[in-house]
Amino acid sequence: MSAVTDLAVERRYRAASAVRRRTNFVLFLGPAIALTFLFFVIPVLIDIAVSFTDLDRTLRISKFTTEQYQKVFRGDSRLPQVIGLTVVYVFGTLAIFNVTFGLVLALTTTSLNKVSGGFFRGVWLLPRMSPSVLYILLWLWVINPSDVGLLNQFLMPALGLARPLDLMTSAPVALIIIANGFIGASLGMIIFTAAIRGIPEHLFYAAEVDGAGTLAKIRFITLPALRWPISFVTIYQTLSLLVSFEYILLLTKGGPFYDTTVFALYVYRRAFTSGQYGYGAALALFLIVIGAAAALLGWRFFDFKRLLQHPRIEVH
Amino acid sequence: MRHVKTAMAALLLAALGGGSAAIFVSAPAPAQTTVKLELWSRQDPSGPLRPANVVKAADRLNKELAAEGSGKRVKVAVHESPAPGFDDDALQLLKVFGIGQGPDLFIAAHEWICAFQQEGFALKLDDYIAKYPQYFTTIFPSLWQSVKCSDGIYGIPQDAEARMFFYNKKLLREAGYDDAFIEAMPARTLSGELTMDDVIDIANRVINKAKAQYGILHRPNKGPDYIMAFQSYGNNFLDPGTGKLLLERDKLAAAFGWFERGVKQGVIPANNTSMEFDALRKAFYTGNAAFWMYGIWDLGTYAFPTYGLPKDEAGFFADWGWIAAPPAKKGGQAGSLTHPIIYAVAARVADPELAVRLLGHASDADLNTDHAVTTTHLGIKSEQLKDPRYAGAWPLARATELLKITKFLPNNPQFGDLNGIIYTALQGVETGRLSGQQAADFVVDEATSSLKDVIVK
Repeated sequence: MSAVTDLAVERRYRAASAVRRRTNFVLFLGPAIALTFLFFVIPVLIDIAVSFTDLDRTLRISKFTTEQYQKVFRGDSRLPQVIGLTVVYVFGTLAIFNVTFGLVLALTTTSLNKVSGGFFRGVWLLPRMSPSVLYILLWLWVINPSDVGLLNQFLMPALGLARPLDLMTSAPVALIIIANGFIGASLGMIIFTAAIRGIPEHLFYAAEVDGAGTLAKIRFITLPALRWPISFVTIYQTLSLLVSFEYILLLTKGGPFYDTTVFALYVYRRAFTSGQYGYGAALALFLIVIGAAAALLGWRFFDFKRLLQHPRIEVH
Repeated sequence: MRHVKTAMAALLLAALGGGSAAIFVSAPAPAQTTVKLELWSRQDPSGPLRPANVVKAADRLNKELAAEGSGKRVKVAVHESPAPGFDDDALQLLKVFGIGQGPDLFIAAHEWICAFQQEGFALKLDDYIAKYPQYFTTIFPSLWQSVKCSDGIYGIPQDAEARMFFYNKKLLREAGYDDAFIEAMPARTLSGELTMDDVIDIANRVINKAKAQYGILHRPNKGPDYIMAFQSYGNNFLDPGTGKLLLERDKLAAAFGWFERGVKQGVIPANNTSMEFDALRKAFYTGNAAFWMYGIWDLGTYAFPTYGLPKDEAGFFADWGWIAAPPAKKGGQAGSLTHPIIYAVAARVADPELAVRLLGHASDADLNTDHAVTTTHLGIKSEQLKDPRYAGAWPLARATELLKITKFLPNNPQFGDLNGIIYTALQGVETGRLSGQQAADFVVDEATSSLKDVIVK
């Protein structure tokens, strides 16, 4: 009798547990799954469907076709230049600003006292906090190719220049890397700062006792501790830089000529400026594939599986 | 189109008098119907009366309808589009029509009309124009060319203008040119003596000998003016036999070569395409540039009110002037470009006759003259020439001289797209990314891969 009761109790417990698991699943993963479907899966499906049509400037479809893909592979002579520029832009911004400069900012601001460090971090967060249009308007004033431009007001007398500098024409790629990098650096700065603050202080004291200087402490204590944050920032910012183009559009409109037209902006120019929506959708699909491939490669390369595995708790 | 029916109850007037039982009943008045017509117009400081004249025309048409005993009345609602230019505006409107919405009437740049015709969005107007000659017969015959597509007329010319090379006489004098040379430039251009390369030479001397930074300036976005230079080198962009877009590689390379030489000699700024409109105008009208490739309406819209150029003819021509687009070689034909803005009727309009009659009134000579004299655009009707206000607006009379040699942009549905490609190539040439020949190859390459039915020679 007792065994039967126990069995019933256990069954009830299992049933309740299954219900709780399902409820938890819906409660905790449901919103994320719904959002992923709404803002990723469904748009991708729509994009795939549109890429097999001739949707043009009138937003009408007259036939289903594969000609957009033929154009991507055979007919578009701009693509090699656009892809090359995208590689330079993504890795340039990432290497110079989003990781390296972010790290430098984190190291320098954490070595200052709390108030000064916080102040400088706040200053470097300003570009990210500013509305994009305002931020770019300031840039346009700074680089204005006449003597009223801020940069020219300083550089013309200092360097004795007869004509004002025109960075938009002479160094447009550097310009978009710097303008984007000033924003991107702040994310790395915040994450690296948090990680540096998480390093147990006794390690630094011990190193000092052993005679380590500042550079040695950075090399042997700080940088090894920042491996995972650096990996995360690299992957996250790679994906972000691949698909975002609003600052470039506002600053250079992708020009002069195609000099600053990165892949995502190229998709926009084809679809929304030229009205070739079908072709734009085909190009966008490649961007999605490239983004997914970059994420998977990063996952593999940086061994993210280890980062996300269950921590081993020491039991004393 | 929405019909708002206002029921007018028939009135019974009963008169009982002197004990008689006679009853008088008035004839019932026709039920009045208000036809609401929506007009799509871009917000454009260079022509605020284009939509306003249509609104005023509604009053005139309503009086006409009342006199005819018609129960219909017209009301115009203006939808103002914030597009920065006519190209963006047309692209936006094509999308709006494409999803089954859109206005009953629209204002567009003429070269876009066949794009609307091709998609079945614009109403063919030949029959209506023939039915209501009183509105349209005195419109200059040449202007109808600007609204013709393959199978007929799809728009009503709203205005015209002349594009030219403005020049600063003061700077030319500073550079050492005598008055005889400066004053003879317009006539020498028309006779084919002054060439495109001569303009570069003059501009070169100005930047070297006068206090001016720039030689030749042009608009910083896609538009018609720089197309004059392409026409000077024989590019007409349209195959007369088939009406298809025509690209002639050598002629394109020659035209791009002119811009390339201009930049290499420091006459055209390498960053012209990334400068702001205001900065370009300021540079020319404040004496920092020798030539400005633009249109006559710039005088009324910016030069007089904003930069204080003399409004009187003698005062203006003392220090300023203009020439037609010079030919490429001596003895060639000088050219000009007119870029009419047009009224058009949507194919889906419920009452096309009313819509056409409304635009007929909007094209009345006096209303059109209001637009012409306030914004320095050319009129559309012969009787406007006799209007004292029009005759007194000297820029109009002087610019009309250029209409003898003027050309239109091709009325091809894809020309707007082609012009975008040409502008991108022009930016490539001026910023040193492309040579003239490479720019021609780029245009051919881009046009053949993204446009349909392009003939390449």
